[in-house]
Amino acid sequence: MSAETKEFKIKWGMVIDIDKCTGCGACMVACQAENNVAPAAVGGNKLRSLNWLTVFRLSNRKPFPDHEVAYLPRPCMQCGKPSCVAVCPVIATDKREEGGIVSQIPPRCIGCRYCMASCPYHARYFNWYDPKWPGDLSQALTPDVSTRMRGVVEKCSFCHHRFMKAQELAVSQGRDPYDLPDGAYITACTEACPNGAITFGDVNNPKHKVHELIKSPYAFRLLERLGTDPQVYYMSKREWVRREGDNYLENEKTGEPLKKLG
Amino acid sequence: MDRRGFLKFAAGGTAGLVASPIIWNTLYDAVYWTQNWGWIPRLKKGAGEYLPAVSKICPSGTGFLVRTVAGTPVRTIGDRNNPVTHGSITSLAASEAELRVSPSRIKKPLLRSADGAYNAIAWAEAEKLLKAKAAAAGKSVAAISGDPTSCTNEVLSAILRAKGSKDFYFMPDEEQPALAAWTSMGGRGRLGYDIENSDCILAAAPVLESWGVVAGNRAAFNRHHPVGAPSTQKLIYAGPVQNNTAAGADLWLPIKPGTETILMLGIAHLLIKAGRNAADFEHGYTPANFKEFADLAAEYTPEKVCAATGVPAQRLEAAAAMLLDAKAPLAIAGSELGSGGGAAPVMAALSINMLLGRIGSKGGVVCLPDHANVVKGAMKYSEIMARPLVSYTQDVASGKKPAPAFLFIHAANPVYALPSDSGMKQTMQKAGFTVAVASFFSETCAEADLVLPATLGMEAFDDVQTPYGSGRITYAFARPVVKPFGEARPAGELYIALAQELDVQLGVKDMPDLLYQHAFALGTPFRQMMEKGTVFTADSAAPLPKMKFNVRSLKAALSAALPGDAPVLAPVVVLGLGTAATSVPPFAAKTVTDYQICGKYSVAQMNGATAASLGVRDGDGLRLTAENGATAEVIVSIFEGVMPSSISLVAGLGHTAFDEFSRGKGTSVVSLTGITREPGTNLPVWGTAGLKAARA
Repeated sequence: MSAETKEFKIKWGMVIDIDKCTGCGACMVACQAENNVAPAAVGGNKLRSLNWLTVFRLSNRKPFPDHEVAYLPRPCMQCGKPSCVAVCPVIATDKREEGGIVSQIPPRCIGCRYCMASCPYHARYFNWYDPKWPGDLSQALTPDVSTRMRGVVEKCSFCHHRFMKAQELAVSQGRDPYDLPDGAYITACTEACPNGAITFGDVNNPKHKVHELIKSPYAFRLLERLGTDPQVYYMSKREWVRREGDNYLENEKTGEPLKKLG
Repeated sequence: MDRRGFLKFAAGGTAGLVASPIIWNTLYDAVYWTQNWGWIPRLKKGAGEYLPAVSKICPSGTGFLVRTVAGTPVRTIGDRNNPVTHGSITSLAASEAELRVSPSRIKKPLLRSADGAYNAIAWAEAEKLLKAKAAAAGKSVAAISGDPTSCTNEVLSAILRAKGSKDFYFMPDEEQPALAAWTSMGGRGRLGYDIENSDCILAAAPVLESWGVVAGNRAAFNRHHPVGAPSTQKLIYAGPVQNNTAAGADLWLPIKPGTETILMLGIAHLLIKAGRNAADFEHGYTPANFKEFADLAAEYTPEKVCAATGVPAQRLEAAAAMLLDAKAPLAIAGSELGSGGGAAPVMAALSINMLLGRIGSKGGVVCLPDHANVVKGAMKYSEIMARPLVSYTQDVASGKKPAPAFLFIHAANPVYALPSDSGMKQTMQKAGFTVAVASFFSETCAEADLVLPATLGMEAFDDVQTPYGSGRITYAFARPVVKPFGEARPAGELYIALAQELDVQLGVKDMPDLLYQHAFALGTPFRQMMEKGTVFTADSAAPLPKMKFNVRSLKAALSAALPGDAPVLAPVVVLGLGTAATSVPPFAAKTVTDYQICGKYSVAQMNGATAASLGVRDGDGLRLTAENGATAEVIVSIFEGVMPSSISLVAGLGHTAFDEFSRGKGTSVVSLTGITREPGTNLPVWGTAGLKAARA
């Protein structure tokens, strides 16, 4: 893991309201279509299929009838201290651009998969097989994201091409490309969520909704106590959901920092 | 060579190799070719556009923007300017650009040969054959439509009427039993629900996943549940499984499959006890038979309801309290499967709405007008809705009715979607000549004599007339914003051309003319809808009906046997698995989860107590035998969000046609269910079944 959190003037972040997500999967479909992720005939097999965004079902682990269910969409967390960047031997993944998005350059990747081993969120996927678009499916490829090849790792990029387009548009209109208004750049999953469970914006910008949302007492981050400083936040009014977000011991309170050993 | 010479040669060779590009080029090639694959897709570049259109394959009629690059659609994105779906999009509609080019898309007309194989033929030949068979059939023609929102139904039904047949049917859906309930209680026109303006919804139907205008329902859910602020709408979901709708609900009422009517009567009992007597029916009258209904509801005490449905007493009371506290409560009932539901649950839900004074009120039950017909001789929408397809196919299969000489199947896959005892397959086998007009090669196409490739909503002129579940009159055009795929043709144009060939006077010359006449009838500017893709919406001005409680039918329906402690099938529908007519869209295949399918087996979810009683554990194989004799091997998954004794299976699997994304995966839920008749209404119902389970 990197020693220090990388700070930027702009920090693109996502707030996912788990209480609003009903697990329909529209975000996953939009992500695949936008980023040219190849479809898989064995989509149900999560060990063999590749997703930049996966929706997980959470359970409060109580027996019927006290059982509760929730859904958790998991993109790349775009960590402030990305453990994947520190281990990449060829700098195929990095975090140095304004916005704080962890980049991934597939042609540079040598397929060692150290980054996958180091990512605590399992947000990285390896192309074990040739990506295939059977029949005429390749006609529906978008022009924005290059297709990847067998033998490389890939992951969510917060639809980085949309960031570039929004900046280009701002420049063409004489606006500051580093001060985009709220909503000028959103990811495909944010756009597709029919329940409005995903909010996207610059967490450093007070004019953006996410800036306030991350201060909510119901906001939390996945495995926050590992210190990876993710840029993806979740919200839930249900305590059991917030506890599911980290490895709390039974006697620990939700949100309590990890006690140092010794 | 001496030792010194050898060393000189080796050193020179090594230095030469290092200095030459051979090693580096070989390394580069090794890296390049080991990471390369035989076929490299090229990204298409070109001018991009975002064109408003509507989905004809999503039951919501979702409004989306089709993103095109050099004229080819690459994405569908929720259209925020659409006044029906407000930018919400279902996972099915989100994958439509990819579905358009999916491997199961039919590219050319196909004619079945004597050996059962399909041969591609030219459109001219197909049209000639179509005309000859339709003309020769005389009045022995029938048609089935899977798209109740389209004006093409008018054309098809007009052709049938002109030939002397009334055998035009819709595929079973949620509206048919609802309309039967509505009209039997004095309702006129169509039944609608103002979900958007309600502040508390009791839904015995998956309103956030598959019931009604799902994308519109989700948009309303979104607006009523702002992120980081208090919600302004409560949702109570009643059903046997904690499905996607339950995940968004404030309160889950777990009930055994098929006990929705009892639950509703239990709530009615508590509402009456709290003083609601339908006298506050705000439009000036009290239903005459309130006393009769109150007597019936009085029998459904919380103890009795909890015993029959399995719902915890506290939750039943909490649900009634939430409805009583609300300013604009609304009760909705439907079926978990999306078809095959009975009328009694809807009658019971409407009774609750009457008790709460919600008929015709804002955020309540809405009376919508029937679809207007503009085609001469077309059958009335409500007339078609009132005649169940299954009754016809069962009669044909049993020989009570003659098989049609010519059978048209439009945008539907009844062979897959109907239970095996529906007689659908036998009807197709007995029919003289069957034509399937479809976009994807389905199980029904595999049984048809002639298969004609139809366009999608983004490829042709069509329309979306107020879908069931809407609280307003809505009207949208499907417009050809991209070229048809392969040789697909607009079904509407095909039927109009056929009518002209058969000398049937329709009063319309083509699809734009038909759409124009509809827009004119509604008083909405046609040109704006055609050029900009605007959508018409209006509040209903239909006069309010005088409602009465249908106690007799409710009593009859309640006389049916209740599920006991034996395992019962509890189906779950998710739109990510597509509809019967589309199957699993390629780009939604990854939304299928490991608690829905495992390898080629469906996954049966059940709670720990049910699994213990069956002697199985998580991951075990289980053989299910349904009452109709159908069997299925499934994998057990323990999930505590399922009613005891219920076994939950996801619908939409078990296809034998389509492509590698659907074929040969899991079990078709419908195949495990059989058709019975609802006492009181005699409507054909299915969707659940008693199961025998044994470890496999």
